[in-house]
Amino acid sequence: MEAPQRTRQPVRIVICPNCSLSLRGAALFFGGLCLFCLTLAGVLALMGMWPVLPFAGLEMLLVGWALHASLARRYRSEIITLTESDVSVESRDRARCQLTVFQRHWAQVKLRRPASQLHPSRLTIESHGRQCELGSFLTDEERYGLALRLQRLIGRINESPSLASGPK
Amino acid sequence: MAETPHTEAHAHAEHDHDHKPHGWRRWVFATNHKDIGTMYLVFSCIMFFTGGAFAMMIRAELFKPGLQIVDAGVFNSLTTMHGLVMIFGAIMPAWVGLANWMIPIQIGAPDMALPRLNNLSFWILPFAFVLLLSSWLVPGSAPAGGWTMYPPLTLQFGASFPMLIFAIHMMGISSILGAINVIVTIMNLRAPGMTLLRMPLFVWTWLITSFLLVAVMPVLAGAVTMLLTDHFFGTSFFNAAGGGDPVMFQHIFWFFGHPEVYIMILPGFGVVSEIIPAFSRKPLFGYEAMVYATASIAFLSFIVWAHHMFTVGLPTSALLFFMFATMLIAVPTGVKVFNWTATMWRGSLTFEPPMLFALAFLFLFTIGGFSGLMLAMVPADFQYQDTYFVVAHFHYVLVSGSAFAIIAGVYYWLPKWVGRMYDMTLAKWHFWLSAIFFNVLFFPQHFLGLAGMPRRIPDYAVQFADWNMVSSIGGFVFGLSQLLFPYIIWKCVRSGQRVEGTRAWDGARGLEWELPSPAPYHSWTIPPTEAMIARGAEH
Ligand code: HEM
Ligand SMILES: [Cu+2]
Repeated sequence: MEAPQRTRQPVRIVICPNCSLSLRGAALFFGGLCLFCLTLAGVLALMGMWPVLPFAGLEMLLVGWALHASLARRYRSEIITLTESDVSVESRDRARCQLTVFQRHWAQVKLRRPASQLHPSRLTIESHGRQCELGSFLTDEERYGLALRLQRLIGRINESPSLASGPK
Repeated sequence: MAETPHTEAHAHAEHDHDHKPHGWRRWVFATNHKDIGTMYLVFSCIMFFTGGAFAMMIRAELFKPGLQIVDAGVFNSLTTMHGLVMIFGAIMPAWVGLANWMIPIQIGAPDMALPRLNNLSFWILPFAFVLLLSSWLVPGSAPAGGWTMYPPLTLQFGASFPMLIFAIHMMGISSILGAINVIVTIMNLRAPGMTLLRMPLFVWTWLITSFLLVAVMPVLAGAVTMLLTDHFFGTSFFNAAGGGDPVMFQHIFWFFGHPEVYIMILPGFGVVSEIIPAFSRKPLFGYEAMVYATASIAFLSFIVWAHHMFTVGLPTSALLFFMFATMLIAVPTGVKVFNWTATMWRGSLTFEPPMLFALAFLFLFTIGGFSGLMLAMVPADFQYQDTYFVVAHFHYVLVSGSAFAIIAGVYYWLPKWVGRMYDMTLAKWHFWLSAIFFNVLFFPQHFLGLAGMPRRIPDYAVQFADWNMVSSIGGFVFGLSQLLFPYIIWKCVRSGQRVEGTRAWDGARGLEWELPSPAPYHSWTIPPTEAMIARGAEH
């Protein structure tokens, strides 16, 4: 169990979305699907039923886009680094990289309850009116686990008595 | 260590309400899979009663021989609209709704893969159906050429014709978007450890269903587009005078149509494969065989289409091929029925509403399968084709098959969704009334068909009078008893008894039951572990 007073070394937590499909798998899958659907539409076109072909083509484009959009998840990651004085969050996308730094002493980890019970919770680190959302791509349960871990690590050292002070 | 992480985070989260859009915005801009699933289910319910109202009018007209209530034209519009609304408005959206609700939870994903696409695919539907239903108001009234839209008859309608075509296009787009979302979600968003062969059968059957959808929806789109151009732009795809072939439409329609009937039943196989083990308190018998059987059925569904066209004058070799190919479907279907039965063998069975509906599915769907086999025999089909026997067949597979499976699924998962239990007694009433009067409604239609009563007619010879009256009475009671369903759900949501713990049903397995009901926002201190996934996957 990490306790705040022992985190002299910076702690790094990397979270990334889960992708069960590899790029290769996606390519094979997409190729296979195109082969099947376009052959089918092609045969119909040869029989004179060509209007099927554009629909099939458009649909394959859509499938391709959908796979692409979903696979883009794999380029996302969030790296949380805790040093003695700072909490920094680096959100990465394929091209973009955004760094937010909070003073560790004032940083608060908040898990927000959704307005409706059916909606996902939201996890943020905030201080001084700034906030940074974390783990939006996690499931509620994973996010809760992460929230707990962060709360323990960052500690509520700004609360008194601080977590670090008493024996636990 | 005396730590209480639960209350800590709890206390912290308690007063931090998130300010998300409320009211109508929540629904119009919904991207959450549970909200969208709910909208699909509500929509489906509305369509079920709309299509049901048409059916009541049909049965009222057929209560006695002669024309009493509607004229022949309106009657034809009623049957056509009934078919279209039930298939595209009630059954298909209900499955997409269940998929939205359950698939992410069952595979450990945070949401569907493409939430905004998901919103779009739902919101297309109400527009499609407003368009379709408003065709009642235009000159010439609603389409009346049957849900199968065969030319040249369908080309002869007035203003309703283009409305029909555009409505079908919109429904098709919605289905495709839904299917693509399901495919990508299942392929890419499975939790670590959730391998393909650990997926619950509902997920499996939906994956296969969405392949069918992706494969055949463009064919439907192409087919109705050709109708449109034949009507408005002088093409002759199906016009014999211009060198086209009207039978060609039937080929491509059924090339879509037969997979379509499996699109409506396969997710039902999945639901029943979850419910029967839960109430038998035994793992599903032959999990892998179930997966392979589903895949074989899907494959076979592409090579049987012409069994709908035995009487159009196909060459004998084609008749033989389609006859045997169709009969082959009985093999994987038989495997499934066997496995469900074997799952119950020596199980400790209890008969709560989901199980009752699943059992009715098992018996009645099998009857529909058998009448299907009878229809598959070419010489016999020459007699049965276009009679009430066919009507009986497809209602056994679609109502006691697909619709009962949907109802079973809702009764099974509803406690999970709302965290409350419904009125078990009322639900059992709903079941018994449905199961009994379904048979009163449709079983006599086998007799009528065998005796030669044609389908799609508003009037009939007096020798058919008795069974038609029985059938109509069955229809009215069946229809009325369905009103219990929304009432039971409404009552459950408002004031059902709270469900304690994670499992509403003690025998239920699967990731969805590892969370308290309803799935709250902070319940696990750890992400879904391999152990939980394995426990859910104890097939
Ligand atoms: C063992 C499985 C099945 C077999 C052998 C089978 C066979 C057939 C045959 C041969 C016909 C054509 C009858 C005719 O028009 O003369 C037919 C019609 C039909 N079947 Fe099936 N079927 C099976 C399962 C299903 C399933 C699972 C569904 C839907 C869930 C279904 C829905 C329909 C519908 C809607 C029609 C009527 C279409 C129309 O003309 O409007 N069938 N079936
Ligand atoms: Cu068929």
